[in-house]
Amino acid sequence: MVPATPLPISLIVTAAALLLPLLAFGVIMLATRSRHRLSAAISIAAAGLSLLAAVYLLVQHWQIQAPLVFQAVWMVSGQMTIPIGILLDPLSLLMLAVVAAISFLVQIYSLGYMAGDPGFGRYYGCMSLFAWAMLTLTVSSSLLQIYIFWELVGLASYLLIGFWFDKFSASEAGKKAFVMTRTGDVAFLLGLVLLWLQLGTLDIPVLTDPAAVGAKLSPGMITLTALLIFGGIVGKSAQFPLLTWLPDAMEGPTPVSALLHSATMVAAGVYLFSRLFGFFSLSPTAMAVCLAIGTISMLLASTMAMVARDIKQVWAYSTISQLGFMLMGLGAGSLFAGTFHLITHAGFKALLFLCAGVFIHHCGTNDMFEIGRQGGRRLKSALVCTIVGAGALSGLPPLSGFFSKELILSHLLDSGHPVAFLAAAVGAFLTTYYSFRLIFIILFPRDADDAPSTKSHDGHHSAGGERSMAAVLWCLAGVTVVLGFFQTPLHDFLARAGTGVNAAMPAHHSWLPVAACMLAAVAIGQAWLEFGRKKARQIGWVERIPLLADLFGQRWYLDRLYRYLLDTLVYRGISRLFTANDRRVIDGALDGLGRSTIGLGRVIDWVHSGMIQYRLMIMVAAVISLILFIGWGG
Amino acid sequence: MIVPLNHILLLSGLLFSLGMFCTLARRNLIMMLLGIEIMLNAAAVGFVGASLHWQQMEGQAIVIFILAVAATEVSIGLAAILVVYRRTDSVDPDMNAALWEKGGQR
Amino acid sequence: MSILTLLFYAIALLIVAATAMAVTRRNLVHAVLYLVLSFFGTAMLFYLLGAPFLAALEIIIYAGAIMVLFLFLIMMIRLKKLPGMFFPVGQLLPAILISAGFLVVSSVMIGRNSSGWAPMPAAQASPMAFGVYLFQTHWLAVEIASMLLLVALVGAYILGRRVRGPSADTRKEAP
Repeated sequence: MVPATPLPISLIVTAAALLLPLLAFGVIMLATRSRHRLSAAISIAAAGLSLLAAVYLLVQHWQIQAPLVFQAVWMVSGQMTIPIGILLDPLSLLMLAVVAAISFLVQIYSLGYMAGDPGFGRYYGCMSLFAWAMLTLTVSSSLLQIYIFWELVGLASYLLIGFWFDKFSASEAGKKAFVMTRTGDVAFLLGLVLLWLQLGTLDIPVLTDPAAVGAKLSPGMITLTALLIFGGIVGKSAQFPLLTWLPDAMEGPTPVSALLHSATMVAAGVYLFSRLFGFFSLSPTAMAVCLAIGTISMLLASTMAMVARDIKQVWAYSTISQLGFMLMGLGAGSLFAGTFHLITHAGFKALLFLCAGVFIHHCGTNDMFEIGRQGGRRLKSALVCTIVGAGALSGLPPLSGFFSKELILSHLLDSGHPVAFLAAAVGAFLTTYYSFRLIFIILFPRDADDAPSTKSHDGHHSAGGERSMAAVLWCLAGVTVVLGFFQTPLHDFLARAGTGVNAAMPAHHSWLPVAACMLAAVAIGQAWLEFGRKKARQIGWVERIPLLADLFGQRWYLDRLYRYLLDTLVYRGISRLFTANDRRVIDGALDGLGRSTIGLGRVIDWVHSGMIQYRLMIMVAAVISLILFIGWGG
Repeated sequence: MIVPLNHILLLSGLLFSLGMFCTLARRNLIMMLLGIEIMLNAAAVGFVGASLHWQQMEGQAIVIFILAVAATEVSIGLAAILVVYRRTDSVDPDMNAALWEKGGQR
Repeated sequence: MSILTLLFYAIALLIVAATAMAVTRRNLVHAVLYLVLSFFGTAMLFYLLGAPFLAALEIIIYAGAIMVLFLFLIMMIRLKKLPGMFFPVGQLLPAILISAGFLVVSSVMIGRNSSGWAPMPAAQASPMAFGVYLFQTHWLAVEIASMLLLVALVGAYILGRRVRGPSADTRKEAP
């Protein structure tokens, strides 16, 4: 049994960590929205306290032996009891700390980035909502609770992506994100209902217990529910069929993208997968599908990133591909590899986006060629941090990404998926290539007419904001550099409470890191040849083949395909049916109703001749009928 | 020994239907109000009978409130009839729009 | 058959007859006077059924106050002879039908109540006991009823007030 003393304390601390952002959201939205600095202070204070609480919990429970579950009954309806509660195990503790840290840092960064925006208060309110939803999601004890906060995360991201809602593309992007993730969530909900009908409970400890699930569900049913739930993950983490919303989601403010891409929105999908890893691993089919989808989305997104000119778009595609990478690791059967990559990715992707934010803030454009021309390389700290982040993204040795990527690769190799391994290698190569393409483009601008234009952009930035942004960048860069060396303790920690992490490390392939480094070096070399070197024309090999460039630039025509499907299926098919229904059935019925009402009115209008006594008569007759009905009807 | 409760209730029902007839048939607002008074009185008779039947004073207490309501209703109703009479020069319940407009211009 | 039973039927007959007369009178003053008679009968009935206090109230309030109020109004209003029939047939028939229907339905409902056929013993609630009971158990309702009466007073005053608007103007212009 769990010792009695730490129980209430950790419960209180967790509750505080969860409720403070909600409180901040309420206070900001209700009272202080128009007072910008106060709103920011409230939100940042809440996030900071949440971070402190999360770190305290992490330290307190570092030696955790069994998962802690606090549950209370939320709703009782007949035979069903719906609990609401908190589940503290290594995975959720770690994720709680990561989410709290990233959202705290992003909020501090936003202090500089969003300064002077008319919606400053609203921005911080939504940020608090976002943090609250995601924090609660991580420690939810039942799948239903996860689903609720999953949708809240979706709502918050909708609000933030469409933050500049007066811009048409922003509100469209918000809608697109919301609708596409909802599409996946329908499958998720169906999966939940199926599970509920079969098991009668949605508690995560029960679901991840193979014995309990296997006793009640047939293997086919497990596969079906797992695939349905995986549908939700596909939507949320922007995987293969539903991936086009994420690149559009950068219409929101850049710090939002950082939060969205690293620790909250898209991470929720992968997190759910690792949360239910025990359940998914019962169905080999589901794992295979997961692996396949991860592979496909990784390759697709990497190719898209190779031709993108928009700095944020490049990182958005890389997010998709890295999420695919995580799913590959999870699908190959290693919880730790996927989770570790999730955590390292949260760090360096936030770093990359925040750096991109600095560039965009400074140069007023998203185009990386333009940024290079306007002297992006003079923003020393942002540039260095971008290089650190890109290095981690590409898996260069001392940085965190190196460790997690290498881990996934070795798992793929061990688990006997040679195709997936090769695809992962190609993906890693492409990732390195496009990351350094971006860096070289910014570093070595071609038309160096930058001198006057930089000055004009410097004027309106406050020094304090810059400093807070830079501090956050260095902080994240430090984490990115250091985090990789904590692989072993983290592995031990995650393995401690039996969350499905196999205790033994995979067999170490000594040639793998070397090969990965070689691959990365080749990719950097190619990027240097095409973009870095003095005489390079800065046109990638993909762009020289128009067919490929078109294909990649248009996102493999996925958007077109969806638009086409939407047009044919929804607009031409279903809408036409509905229109016909409207015109014939509903309109006809309404007209008929109106006409017959008028006719009826003509017939009985003598009742309404202003004569009270007729009305009285009808009233009395009705009362008598009522007495008759009650007396003899029952 | 007096009579059975049902006889009292029958008397009450008879009075009530008389009052109802008065309210429904007489083309005179004052008589309508009078009919309502008769109906209220009939209900009071029924309550007093029930009070005796069950040896409970609840029924009598309710009659007190019936009296209060009847007084209220009569005072307001008569005042309203007075207003109607001033406007339309008649106490006919068949108040059609033309009569009212004529009264409004007065 | 005791004397009380006989008395009850006599009083019942009186009440019904007086009410029927009141309902069918063409002259409003006659109708009101018949109704006063009917209320006197009801008061006697109340006394017979063991409610002397209510009997007194019936005479004071119904026969005294309310009917006098009716008389005041009738005297204030100079009624013209209404044109047309006294009881319009188109209205009389449905009215009779509905009232008779109500009578039948209520009689049948009462008849089905088998416990009510046993004769009741005579009893009396003394005014003091009744008053104590009323103010012990229903004091809140009494207060509410008094509020209602106050509201009625104010309402009747406001309704009965002559509208000043145009008449004040004419008075000014007259001299």
